Amino acid sequence: MVNAIKGCYIECDIPMAQLIVHMNESMPNAHKFIIHVLDETRLFVQENAVDMIRKKIHEFCDSNTFEKPSA
Amino acid sequence: MYVLRLLYIDTAVKSKLMDEWVLPESHTKHRVAIDRLEQLRVFLLASEGSKEQSYKLNPKFQKQLRQALASGGAPPKDPLPSNIAVRLPSSAELDSYAMKQWEGVLLQLVSTAFPESSHDISRDRFVIETFQRAKLLDSGMKLTEAGFQFLLMDTSYQLWQIVREYISATEDRGINNVELIRFLLELGFHVVGQPYNRDTLSNTEQTVLEELKVLGLVQLQQGMKHRWFIPTKLATNLATSLSDVSSRYQSDGFIIIETNFRLYAYTSSKLQIQILRLFARIEYLLPNLTVGTLNRESIQTAFASGISADQIITFLQQNAHPYYAQKQPSVPETVSDQIRLWETDSNRVKLVPACYYDDFPSMEIFESVCTFAGDRNGLVWQDSSKRRLIVQADLHDEIHVDIVSTQDYAKSILQCVIISLKGCACNFYIL
Repeated sequence: MVNAIKGCYIECDIPMAQLIVHMNESMPNAHKFIIHVLDETRLFVQENAVDMIRKKIHEFCDSNTFEKPSA
Repeated sequence: MYVLRLLYIDTAVKSKLMDEWVLPESHTKHRVAIDRLEQLRVFLLASEGSKEQSYKLNPKFQKQLRQALASGGAPPKDPLPSNIAVRLPSSAELDSYAMKQWEGVLLQLVSTAFPESSHDISRDRFVIETFQRAKLLDSGMKLTEAGFQFLLMDTSYQLWQIVREYISATEDRGINNVELIRFLLELGFHVVGQPYNRDTLSNTEQTVLEELKVLGLVQLQQGMKHRWFIPTKLATNLATSLSDVSSRYQSDGFIIIETNFRLYAYTSSKLQIQILRLFARIEYLLPNLTVGTLNRESIQTAFASGISADQIITFLQQNAHPYYAQKQPSVPETVSDQIRLWETDSNRVKLVPACYYDDFPSMEIFESVCTFAGDRNGLVWQDSSKRRLIVQADLHDEIHVDIVSTQDYAKSILQCVIISLKGCACNFYIL
């Protein structure tokens, strides 16, 4: 019988996918959100985790960019 | 020209005859012209029994045009009697008046985005209502995504959108729509800078004029006995088509961008400074010069409010300082590339609410679902080796029905086979 799961599909570059996988692994078991890792750049995750992922990625990007200290 | 040729011909003209009017090499142009006239219902197709097509001028149009040509056309609205000594504003004064009014209108829109810097701006209820109708502002007086984009458009586009909303808004206020549109169009054909009498206008038109004044389309003046209005350059915009005016009302460029992301804007207009504030960090405000920088943070705020990188770059190009506008490109490549990079950076991750399906019993069902979703543009991802696929979440209900019905179909076929093969020692895996 065909199975259907509701969730959210994520497509991104490899480093980002790794970051998300890492986030998933650092979570306690009850809060793991990745349902399927489809391939290197595509993931299928739970819907309720989307906002959290978005926030984390944003934080990660911000910490990763160098801002010239303004005079 | 075709129209003039046919103006005094009452019978239909064969299309073959018309083909002979033009040189063979411009035949395609001829066809386009004829087609367009036909679409406009200026030409009527008349093929009475014969095989050949023939065209006829629309009789109503013909009659009106003949009349207009013969009588020279009536002047639109009575010009002011010339014996009154009037000091008319020069065209430069009028232009600056129009731009000032229009900027005032836009400022009201921008001021909602930056409430802290705008306490000295008076708000016009009618303008705000129109903005809200156009969904540029939401009900809580906040600038929407469309509103941000609207600010970066050019003037004629903005004007059209506002006037369109204005027309639809007047329906609710009980003003006769037809009358309003007629008046607006008439206004478009008035001569810029000429005074026209206001006292002969109907009550509706009077109120409309008051509001058009706010938009900067007309200037109202009062004399001892008479009142009159003077259409501005913005008003003629109404009757011209959008394509050929798009760049004409651009004020002179004022922005200089250096390769080090510094932005110098030679302007004293509050509006322009506010617009720059959307995507740049303002550092100094001098009487006629504003200095700012573009940085990741400021551009990201712009993206967050729904402005795209291309819109920022086109805005910078359109308003480039004349000296810089001669250069190619007018915005340094490092800057425009960096803005685009920032944009892709903020869109590194694509998230689609979706539904995941696996465990399809047969390849046929899998493929039929794939095509079904593909036809509805909802197929996000598929993997045929493992028979799994992902479709957009909103298609789930339809897919569900589709799968169930395909399965029923497959089952019934299998059952038929089983019945017909009864007695044979065959093993069937029923779904």
